[in-house]
Amino acid sequence: MKRYIIDIWAAATTILGGMGITLVHLFRAKNDNVTLQYPEERWPRPDRNIGFDHSNYNVIRSRLHVDMDDCIGCLKCERACPVDCIKIETEKVPNRGEDIKEIGHVGVTSNGSRKAMVVTRFDIDMTECCYCNLCTYPCPEECIFMTGGPNSDKHPIDYEFSEPNRNDLIYRFAKPGSREGMAKIISEQKAEV
Amino acid sequence: MGVVHGQEMVLNIGPQHPATHGVLRLQVKTDGEVVSEITPYLGYLHRCFEKHCENVTYEQVIPYTDRCDYLASMTNNFGYVVAVEALMDIKVNDRVEHIRVIMAELQRIASHLLGLGAFGLDVGAFTPFLHMLRDRERILDLFEMTCGARLLYNYMWVGGLSHDLPVGFVESTYNFLDYFEPKIDEFVNLLVHNKIFVERTADIGRMPQEVAVSYGVTGPNLRASGVKWDLRKNDPYSIYKSFEFDVPVGEGGKGSVGDCWDRFYVRVLEMKESIKILRQALASLPKEGDIHQSIPKKIRPPKGTIYKRTESPRGDLGYYIESDGTNIPYRLKMRSPAFTALSVIDEIAAGWLLSDVLAILGSLDIVLGEIDR
Repeated sequence: MKRYIIDIWAAATTILGGMGITLVHLFRAKNDNVTLQYPEERWPRPDRNIGFDHSNYNVIRSRLHVDMDDCIGCLKCERACPVDCIKIETEKVPNRGEDIKEIGHVGVTSNGSRKAMVVTRFDIDMTECCYCNLCTYPCPEECIFMTGGPNSDKHPIDYEFSEPNRNDLIYRFAKPGSREGMAKIISEQKAEV
Repeated sequence: MGVVHGQEMVLNIGPQHPATHGVLRLQVKTDGEVVSEITPYLGYLHRCFEKHCENVTYEQVIPYTDRCDYLASMTNNFGYVVAVEALMDIKVNDRVEHIRVIMAELQRIASHLLGLGAFGLDVGAFTPFLHMLRDRERILDLFEMTCGARLLYNYMWVGGLSHDLPVGFVESTYNFLDYFEPKIDEFVNLLVHNKIFVERTADIGRMPQEVAVSYGVTGPNLRASGVKWDLRKNDPYSIYKSFEFDVPVGEGGKGSVGDCWDRFYVRVLEMKESIKILRQALASLPKEGDIHQSIPKKIRPPKGTIYKRTESPRGDLGYYIESDGTNIPYRLKMRSPAFTALSVIDEIAAGWLLSDVLAILGSLDIVLGEIDR
């Protein structure tokens, strides 16, 4: 009998204790509210100005972007990718470091290296990407990055990139027509020889 | 009047069932409400982790380890890099070690928060789950601030870290700890001593010491059975030797040692110990030190094998790596603590009611990503 009353007493006090906590939260709902009406309001993102040399770090995970004018086609990002979602094809240029106007190829990168390769295909399949950031570190020209990182002034962060069609998530960064253009140039070269 | 004979019925729980914490199928033999035998069927989330690792380089394994125990990715990275560093005989500097410990302990709190909340959800308490997720969100914010990712970090590298701590991280973490410590007491009042919760968990699913040890159960599940075994104390890796903390063990506060309530309460106490470690690590964090200092240019471990284990939130997480001198592991085996925790379920849950089985399963805090790998 004693046990029975103790049990009921324990049940009543502990449940009331829990209710009390809930009640306190009810009155503090304005301060404690963590729900955000997403499309209208957004969380403030942590400050990206993190106080050290920014170009070494890419403190962001977002969609990948490639500045094709800086890409030298070294394939380092392709090798670093653990899921092989980057596919690159290159062709040798006739004259190293020279622009090829027909296909919009720029001969010298913004870092001043002279390109030996034309990138005819640079596809990133963002459906396969695992956002590990491993591809951005080995890049010697810092031309592949997650948007919003070191180059955020040129490419602000954009993490809302859903598409109605899955194929639209395969990003093709190579200059359009570069493959056909290079094939033409190479066949012309062969004809001359 | 003849005797009414009960008939055994085979019942499938899962694979798509919210109480199985992932895609797990439990084949349960029931006689009325009483469960006589439980057979877990695995493989619904198998991703060939170990075979994948034999085909990618040592750096590229790290994102895959993230995805094993996806609720505690930092500690998964930690175990892997500690193993490879031991194989290559790399010493990392003090700052890196401190940051790793800070991240691992934050991750332990985050993982326990979700585990406890989900366990409450399993036995019918919805409010604590929301409290837990709200606080876990703050830890994920700290991680996002540090490395940009909220769940799968790829943060710890062999020989260092991917990013240094951002400006203001230490203050934010102190703020979080000051905020979080009172929340634990609130949580204890809300759920741990709640009579309904105690009735559902105390004395249910006792795991005796011998059973736990013979099945190889580790982590909070083992400690709840009264075995004082924590790799951070018993086989210290990294710099855990220099921190002072206790190893909480189950004492049978509401029922008997090793019941569901004990497994639950040990995790609550462990969060408090993690806070202790975090405060010490933050106080002694060296200001100087390049986090990329000891990262090797090429990761090519010498021929040999290594088995290194670390204490993940779920227990004893071991990596066995066999190197043949190339940049790709010849064999990589992962010993997952959740797998052994699941293997014991038939032993401890047989004989209990069907609804208790789900409480026992929740108290083991399994993650299917790690069990199936």
